[in-house]
Amino acid sequence: MSDFGGMEDLLQDFLQEANDLLSDVDNKLVDLEKMPDDRALLNDIFRGFHTVKGGAGFLNATELVTLCHLTENLFDRLRNGELELTAELMDVIMDATKGVREMFGELGQMVQPQPADSAVIAALKGVLSGGAVGVAHATTAPHPAADVAQEPAPAPGEPDWNALHAAVTGKAASVASAQSDVITKAETAIVESVVTPTAVVSPSAATTPPFGRRTTDKPGGQPTSARRAEERGRENTIRVDTSRLDQVLNLSGEIGLTKNRLTSLRADILAGKNDSETLHALDQAVSQLDLLVSDLQNSVMKTRMQPIGRLFQKYPRIARDLARQLGKDVELVLAGEETEVDKTMIEDLADPLIHLIRNAVDHGVEMPEERQAAGKPPKSLVRLEARQEGDHIVLIIADDGKGMNAERIRAKATEKGLISEEEANTLDERQSLNLIFMPGFSTKTQISDVSGRGVGMDVVKTNIQKLNGSIEIRSEPGKGSVFIISLPLTLAILPVLLVLLGDQPFALPLSLVREILPIEQSRIQEVGGKETLVVRGEVLPVITLARLLGWPLERYPEYGVFMQTAERSFILAVDSFAGRDDAVIKSLEDFRPKGVAGVTTLSNGQIVLILDMKELLSDLGQHPDFGPAVRALDFA
Amino acid sequence: MAADPKMKFLVVDDFSTMRRIVRNLLKELGFTNVDEAEDGAIALQKLQGGGFEFVVTDWNMPNMDGLTLLQSIRATPSLKHLPVLMITAEAKKENIIAAAQSGASGYIVKPFTAGTLSEKLNKIFEKMGQA
Repeated sequence: MSDFGGMEDLLQDFLQEANDLLSDVDNKLVDLEKMPDDRALLNDIFRGFHTVKGGAGFLNATELVTLCHLTENLFDRLRNGELELTAELMDVIMDATKGVREMFGELGQMVQPQPADSAVIAALKGVLSGGAVGVAHATTAPHPAADVAQEPAPAPGEPDWNALHAAVTGKAASVASAQSDVITKAETAIVESVVTPTAVVSPSAATTPPFGRRTTDKPGGQPTSARRAEERGRENTIRVDTSRLDQVLNLSGEIGLTKNRLTSLRADILAGKNDSETLHALDQAVSQLDLLVSDLQNSVMKTRMQPIGRLFQKYPRIARDLARQLGKDVELVLAGEETEVDKTMIEDLADPLIHLIRNAVDHGVEMPEERQAAGKPPKSLVRLEARQEGDHIVLIIADDGKGMNAERIRAKATEKGLISEEEANTLDERQSLNLIFMPGFSTKTQISDVSGRGVGMDVVKTNIQKLNGSIEIRSEPGKGSVFIISLPLTLAILPVLLVLLGDQPFALPLSLVREILPIEQSRIQEVGGKETLVVRGEVLPVITLARLLGWPLERYPEYGVFMQTAERSFILAVDSFAGRDDAVIKSLEDFRPKGVAGVTTLSNGQIVLILDMKELLSDLGQHPDFGPAVRALDFA
Repeated sequence: MAADPKMKFLVVDDFSTMRRIVRNLLKELGFTNVDEAEDGAIALQKLQGGGFEFVVTDWNMPNMDGLTLLQSIRATPSLKHLPVLMITAEAKKENIIAAAQSGASGYIVKPFTAGTLSEKLNKIFEKMGQA
């Protein structure tokens, strides 16, 4: 047991829900800037802080309660029209929201939040006490208080509300008669009840600081809680629609029934019963099991799917803050938030997407004056969109900025010594744009503190590739740039094509395979010292799998697999095929040979390596047989 | 305690963590027959389905807030007898008065312990016993 005393689960729930709520508040704040008088928005934001405060109280998160309480009061004034939303006030609110988010971070580390930035608290209090329209309680409170003063003793049968109120606020019943200051008493009572830990925890928690101090402060440390705190770093709970869980349950039930059927058939068969009826029943049962298992796999996979909107909703605020900092006017437009993506992928996408959005706001779009000079509206739009295309998820980050200049990118890359002049000349538009993904590339000589942050576009690309995805750029000077990320639906199951090299099967991701064709050696042409094959007018390089793996080439391969990655198309020459399969990837943990994505087991029990084509091909880049063009492509 | 442990509660709050907290506290007090609703509108629908004997509701919720829910319950002949305990983050006098005038059976301020909840519930059960 940690100092949390059984509250860990509660804390996790709270954080997950409160984080969603805060992201929602963040977005509403962005909207509020456009519509400062929208009462519905003000109400929603008020309720957001109010709800967080209520939950935080149960977690004894005093500082969080205080901060939320002040912010909530501020919104109460705003929605009652007692305060006017000014730009300065908006900044105070944004800072307060940021403070709340930071406290969530601390809670996530199982640490009781530190007091909010005193400047933020002071600013909030300043606004609340110095509001020109007057202090809320000075204007509104006296009336009900005065009413109460004249209120006769409670009618018989009615609850004694004064007593109840007193009980509620922890004051003696007599306080109720001191009507004039009852409100302030009530207010202080809240603060008191907040300061003294009263929540759900066992009484011992009231004497020891709840959650403990920072776990790192502990002499000697507590291995279990420390480890647990580490695990908390990553959100390891998931919210699943119960109907999806029901489906899983239902399917596992059905599988159980089919298993029983098979067990009984096995007994029959072992007893020597092998008439056509038994075999037919066996065939049926196995087919049914086949169907059920693939349904189950799908259903389980679906439990991991989360709408990407949960990730997206954090971004408008980030874009807004950044734009403000840079003096730009940017609106981040979201689309396709309901698109469902594997949970792990959502987490791993967070950083690359933030980087791309920052990049779009920082480097992509122009300053308002510049835009007007170019005849564009001063406000720039950055669009973040998700959609499912077949078995892929496509993410688009598009801006309507100045676009990218291929010539300048080439010059920069040459200047930085990333490619030679010669190589630069062979690159076409698309390849030139892809140069920005090279490690060490940054178009701005001065790394801005905004999208700089020590991470480059190469990291974005690496992260996307780790998810078996790809990223490409389209850009039109003066019109804007578009980054297109393509990702598989799930990382758990990979449809593969099984190819043979001699007797040895290898698995290739089916998503890269376009077609399979026989290779006639007579049709192979040598172009620039490389083997190529013309397929319907397109000249494609032929790469033999044996050479790629460093195996001796015993006979010339008979089949070619037309493969297409985001960067290039080629023919992979293999000896033969063994069909297709849905591979469940088992990673090779610590031991991972280059070019091998993982292993899977075939239906006959044989273990097969799943090849990572991109990694295998990147080896080719260094191969002396390949010219500069191919090398440059590999950087792409 | 006079209360039947099988008594069916409806816990109404838009914040699921809060519903869970209240549910856990009720469980601690021996009440395990608990259903949940996300806001007043859903609560009212569930209540009209029948079978509920006690309502514990948050005040501040989207769609239909706790006070409106309370007023709707009191205005519905089949539901008006239901005890309703209001939960809120504020101990503001005007809130308490509004709740009382609308016929709340009790009023409890966040955060609270199982002990406080038990006290409030017992007060309400006593009153119901008298009625």
